[in-house]
Amino acid sequence: MQFKLSTASALLLLLTAMAGCHREPATAAAPPGLRRLTEAQYRQSIEDVFGSSIRVVGRFEPDLRVDGLLAVGTSVVSITPGGMEQYEAIAGDVARQVVDSENRDRLIGCAPAASDPQGRQCAAHFLRRVGEHLFRRPLGSEELEQAVNTALRASVQLADFHAGLASALSGFLTAPDFLFRIDHVTAGPAGAQLDGWSKAVRLSYLLWNASPDEPLRTAAQRGDLDSTAGLTSQVDRMIASPRFVAGVRAFFDDFLQLDGLGTVTKDAQIYPAFGSGSAADAREQTLRTIADLLVVRNADYRELFETRRLAINRNLGPLYDVPVPGKGWQMYEFPAGDPRAGLLTQVSFLAAHSHPGRTSPTLRGKAVREILMCQKIPTPPANVNFRIVQDVTNPHLKTTRARIEAHLSDPECAGCHRLTDPVGLALEHFDGAGQFRDNENGAVIDTHGTLADASFDGAAGLGTVLGKDPAVASCLVQSVWRYASGHGGDRDESAFLHYLDERFAANGYRIPGLMRLIATSRNFYAVAAPIKENRS
Amino acid sequence: MSLRTAGGSRASAWVVAVALLAALSSCQNRHQSFGSRAASPSAAAVPTGGPPRVRGFVLSNVFVAAPPDEPGACPQLSKGPLELFLESLPAAQRKSYAAPEQREALMKLMNQRVGFRSAPVPVDPNTGQADPAKLAQTRRQLGIPEGKGSLSFLGRQVTYDSCSDPDDFPQFDRGLQPYLGKTAYGADLDGRQSAEDFVGVGGEASVDNSLWRALGCEWAFHESGRPEVAAKVLFSARAPTLVEISDIDDVRNDADVLVSIYSSPTPLAVDAAGHALARASFDIDGNPQLQARARGRIADGVLTTEPFDVQINYKEQIIDTVRKLRATRLRALLKEDGTIEGGFYGYYDVESFWHSVQQMTQLGASFSRLSCPAVRTALNQYADAFPDPKTGRNTAISTALQFVGVRAHIIHRSAGT
Repeated sequence: MQFKLSTASALLLLLTAMAGCHREPATAAAPPGLRRLTEAQYRQSIEDVFGSSIRVVGRFEPDLRVDGLLAVGTSVVSITPGGMEQYEAIAGDVARQVVDSENRDRLIGCAPAASDPQGRQCAAHFLRRVGEHLFRRPLGSEELEQAVNTALRASVQLADFHAGLASALSGFLTAPDFLFRIDHVTAGPAGAQLDGWSKAVRLSYLLWNASPDEPLRTAAQRGDLDSTAGLTSQVDRMIASPRFVAGVRAFFDDFLQLDGLGTVTKDAQIYPAFGSGSAADAREQTLRTIADLLVVRNADYRELFETRRLAINRNLGPLYDVPVPGKGWQMYEFPAGDPRAGLLTQVSFLAAHSHPGRTSPTLRGKAVREILMCQKIPTPPANVNFRIVQDVTNPHLKTTRARIEAHLSDPECAGCHRLTDPVGLALEHFDGAGQFRDNENGAVIDTHGTLADASFDGAAGLGTVLGKDPAVASCLVQSVWRYASGHGGDRDESAFLHYLDERFAANGYRIPGLMRLIATSRNFYAVAAPIKENRS
Repeated sequence: MSLRTAGGSRASAWVVAVALLAALSSCQNRHQSFGSRAASPSAAAVPTGGPPRVRGFVLSNVFVAAPPDEPGACPQLSKGPLELFLESLPAAQRKSYAAPEQREALMKLMNQRVGFRSAPVPVDPNTGQADPAKLAQTRRQLGIPEGKGSLSFLGRQVTYDSCSDPDDFPQFDRGLQPYLGKTAYGADLDGRQSAEDFVGVGGEASVDNSLWRALGCEWAFHESGRPEVAAKVLFSARAPTLVEISDIDDVRNDADVLVSIYSSPTPLAVDAAGHALARASFDIDGNPQLQARARGRIADGVLTTEPFDVQINYKEQIIDTVRKLRATRLRALLKEDGTIEGGFYGYYDVESFWHSVQQMTQLGASFSRLSCPAVRTALNQYADAFPDPKTGRNTAISTALQFVGVRAHIIHRSAGT
């Protein structure tokens, strides 16, 4: 099909397209929210404020995955009484370490003096500084005075100034202002708007997965974040920072559901090379590979499904059967033609979406559909008989494909399996631990399949098809937005998502560009006026 | 299990003894089951990485191999120092110390009566070596004669006993039984047929293995050398031996390949099933004395080499030495499951073998039922090659060190990296 356009028509179309590209559709603003810190964010906050020598030991409330993301779950979870006890225990332990004689000079920096025998000035100085950092906003004068009084009262009762400080600090660490990211709304020229501190918090957790640093807090205090120039300046500074890697890692850890590797175990007799540290290393491998590809090299997101370059260490070397020269993490490039290509051939994906003793094309296919394409696969009925697929010793059904095909005689099952299995079967050259295999029980492995009418053979072919599928890029865009906003799939944000899709494509599918687009968008900071409680 | 406690004396003598027993066995038993050593059927059959035309292996055990049992080969196993000392006691006393639970008391009595002495030596934290002044002081306190005694327990203990100075304790130079069997592992090293020669386990003629003739009835070697036991243990895991075959055109049949032997500073790891972890990466020890090369060939999957000299690291528990082998041939089967199984067949330098025995100390020897003076005499008696030009005494003894190994990636670094 050929198009013939006049110059004027072409210009008009171009201008229209450009205008469309730059016009950000508004979404219905959400009410101000509360988002509970994740365990990683809690730990990062403590490290940011007190340094890495302070250990955070304890069991955290489990995070909740909603619409595929833990980040969305943070908007709906609260804290149980049992969880609060854990937070209190952790807070007490952190506070004790901070005021410990080994750390107090460095972390408190002052002590009661002859002119201030009670230590009121010192306590105020310390609590103001850490309070602002922990609460991600300045402390009000009453709030600070209350904290100082708490510290001094406890100091008297405990006959120890530093024990009193620890008491007040422990209170900060168990306060909702620390444990939750709380939106604060002010009246703006066009109605309700987030205050500068709340904008800084949204920005910082999106780009760094951490609380705002000093320059960002200063920008918030000065009101810089209310102007496009001021906001853009901070966004660009943060994306250029090495800490941006932490933000991208946090997103992909959530998006790819890599936390699931924390519970992955393998049958030691079947997969002896999958050791106790393999799952954790596989998670780290994927995150390092992503950081290298999508941040350091600022590559097209779709290359993630085809890249032959991945991070590796000596613990993972045996699973990939490659030499690893150094003792730490390093990048390894598989040669062209090697069966390893792309995210789907990494141990983190292959092992996480398999059974302890065998592969599962169904689980792998389901993961591709649900995680990478944001599709929903129905839960199987409870009474499915898996006997055929579980019998890996059946001499007549040597391959997983053969066993699955036998299992699919039930049309009720076949409907869903037709969605998942062709995708998962493409990965059958990799066993349940993610190791390459060229046969299964001596039989040739058939890795042909189709996805949305596109045919492929093997993992590399599937990766190429996935990279070209618009649903994959759209899913990523949708997920970054939901990760950033905490919004679930129950809101109609299709126009804005379509706009992000277009801009993501126009920018060459670059993750930093997408995050910058969201971080500088109006919708990211949009907030509805708080709903007033009707007391009548 | 760690022998680091030996210097600090926190471990009980029994714990130390068990550790020493393991050391004597030249291995570290980590296998929990007797399952097949075959590679997992799901493991990659072909490496997806690594240089072409090269196969690397890490040897999980290199051991003095015991042939299958033969009637009459060992009428009885050799006696250890405790048994010999017990025999020397008056009948009544002998009876009171005969029970197994009396072994620790018996050892104390033996040490007192015979004059074995041992004490920890403070280590200089800067050098990691025994402090010379404190060492001299300890020697004086123990009353160790000038020029006698030796450092043991990786330099953290000074010892004077029948292993450090076998000539001073002739009462223990007895009880050793030569191996009388007809079959042993090995190869025809000298090209001659003699009355002392064995028939090989595979039927080979004129097999030279005088070390087995000398020590094949020693309890420790007799037990730990059994292939079914040796295949399940790790040897010198903190400094394993690597075998690299390069210039391979056909892994089943190739008339000319290069075989390189290296020591590695990379510890041998175990997999989740407790076996040596296959396809791990190993660095090469830069010490050129721990590297050797020989041309070889592969026929029907069996690798053989020309004779060459090689030194194999032996760092196991309290032992830190090398096994020096001269005029050694390597013969090994490259198995379909990716493992390697074979042996070094050559002449073991007597002094290097003796050094490993000596480092066991009397304590280890007692629990391993091995009498150092008797071993020393047997080595001198059965040494059969490389005579010293001055004394005419043979300095090496023919032997067979069998090995098993798994695939490995051997990392070559350019100079300065």
